[in-house]
Amino acid sequence: MSNRSEPLVPHFDRLPEPEQIGQMATWLAQAGLESLELCNEAAGLKLRIRVERAAPAATCPHAPPAAQSDVTAGWVAVKTPYFGHLCLTHPQRESAFAPVGAKVAQGDTVALLTLDRMQLPVPAPVAGTVVEVTGQAGALVGYGTVIMQIQPD
Amino acid sequence: MSETLPFNRVLIANRGEIALRIQRACRQLGLETVAVYSEADADSRHVHEADVALCIGPAAAARSYLDPAGLLLAARLTGAQAIHPGYGFLSENADFADAVEDAGLTFIGPTGASIRMMGDKITAKRAMREAGVPCVPGSDGPLPADMDAVKAIALEVGFPVIVKASGGGGGRGMRVVERVEDLARAVTLTAKEAEQAFGNPTLYLERFMQKPRHIEIQVLCDTHGTALWLGARDCSLQRRHQKVLEEASAPGIAPETIAEIGERCAEACRRIGYRGAGTFEFLYEDGVFAFIEMNTRVQVEHPITEETTGIDIVAEQLRIAQGAKLGIVQADIGLRGHAIECRLNAEDPFTFMPSPGTITRWDLPGGPGIRVDTHVVAGYTVQPYYDSLIGKIISYGATREQAIARMRVALAEMKVEGVSTNIALHQDLLADPAFARGGVDIHYLERWLAKRTAS
Repeated sequence: MSNRSEPLVPHFDRLPEPEQIGQMATWLAQAGLESLELCNEAAGLKLRIRVERAAPAATCPHAPPAAQSDVTAGWVAVKTPYFGHLCLTHPQRESAFAPVGAKVAQGDTVALLTLDRMQLPVPAPVAGTVVEVTGQAGALVGYGTVIMQIQPD
Repeated sequence: MSETLPFNRVLIANRGEIALRIQRACRQLGLETVAVYSEADADSRHVHEADVALCIGPAAAARSYLDPAGLLLAARLTGAQAIHPGYGFLSENADFADAVEDAGLTFIGPTGASIRMMGDKITAKRAMREAGVPCVPGSDGPLPADMDAVKAIALEVGFPVIVKASGGGGGRGMRVVERVEDLARAVTLTAKEAEQAFGNPTLYLERFMQKPRHIEIQVLCDTHGTALWLGARDCSLQRRHQKVLEEASAPGIAPETIAEIGERCAEACRRIGYRGAGTFEFLYEDGVFAFIEMNTRVQVEHPITEETTGIDIVAEQLRIAQGAKLGIVQADIGLRGHAIECRLNAEDPFTFMPSPGTITRWDLPGGPGIRVDTHVVAGYTVQPYYDSLIGKIISYGATREQAIARMRVALAEMKVEGVSTNIALHQDLLADPAFARGGVDIHYLERWLAKRTAS
């Protein structure tokens, strides 16, 4: 009786083509993972792929869930990348990070999550104009909570 | 302030049926609950019922239920003063237990030191032997590097032997050796695998029991020196080291025999200062008990012991963590009747492949002696990210025959549509003559399945 028709791990008996490695790196980034290591001791092969944790939101270790477009309005939801108390204004300033009408670039901080003594930025998933703010300042919000909507440029 | 309890709000660091089970016990004791959940579990019953619910991460367990730092932060932000780990996930992670207590919170379970001692099979076995708990003959410690010395130990123990990783468990990191000439190769291979899988190449060796039963003893210990044993469970029906159907008491084993082994387990708990609920697992063959490991948490199959003792094990865990004394003594514990648990999994009854999907029909059984522990409701979606347990049917009867008869009716009444389940497997098992006689060994189900596939 066989439980699986295919092995969980594909054969790794020679190094993949550069394009294939590139594809794997893309998948890693999309999955929010940092590195992948394949090893075949018998064949003396080892492959390690590391993905930069920098700029694009998709590779951030606390990447928010994939931004979903509102089909009717074409809006893009801003979701929290972690849980914490929501802070819509900069602690040292009076003004909100991104009130309705504000123009934001992709990756701009549009809110903060306060956890204990730490603060985590909530980045804008796309460039555009803030059209709606649904998050309540000071509320304890969970991971993936929609706090505002952006009309992309 | 007088009479302040150490906690009145409990964070439940788990999901599924056990999260709901813990929540029920908390609410009955007047404790508030915090449900922390992954995105995939947002629509769970215990999330809706919680005083505070907080999504802590995506479906991947590593970033939700297995994230110690995230759970501690969630406890702080929600004002929980205690964490119940349930089973699986972080329940037997000694570092997590320590981190919870270091953060000034109560870990509802044993100390990190106890978990660590039992997590290492060599130190666990040594502690048990010193406490008078019977162990299978073996190397009594790590195998020496010298292969001739290993051979001498194996010959003294007697073939066949099983070579096991000290850091292993759950069927991983072990190898059976039938003949002395195969020993060196098996030791080398197992050490290498153990190093890769557990980061620890330490091995030990035991006599391999050929057709044992899996018998376990439930214990309950407070922090005032009382340790009780709550009877035995027979969990021999296993597939790939996963329990499928359990019963209490163990058929065909004299109550006096269980009492003797139970008292030794309780004594071991007193000696190591164990606190909370725990289970001593044994292999049992030809009247001989051999300790294999201790589970330092509540177990999936705890309800059958609750049915035969009348003790609410999860509520007692909470009371013990509050610092309360156990309100009963050993003489108060009467083992009455017989209980059976069938684990319902969303899986194909023949291939055992998980069967995630949305449950469209969910008709539960009822009547005297039937209990169903489940988090599932009609419309619930079984997620592919976690184990496939969707519920447990527990039947109780004055006799084993009555418990079986009630379970048979309950399985017939249970109607599930939208996903495949193993209900048919349980029905076939209950109809099996060897099961009806009682006392099958731990390999019986695998052999039975192999025969079914062949025919």
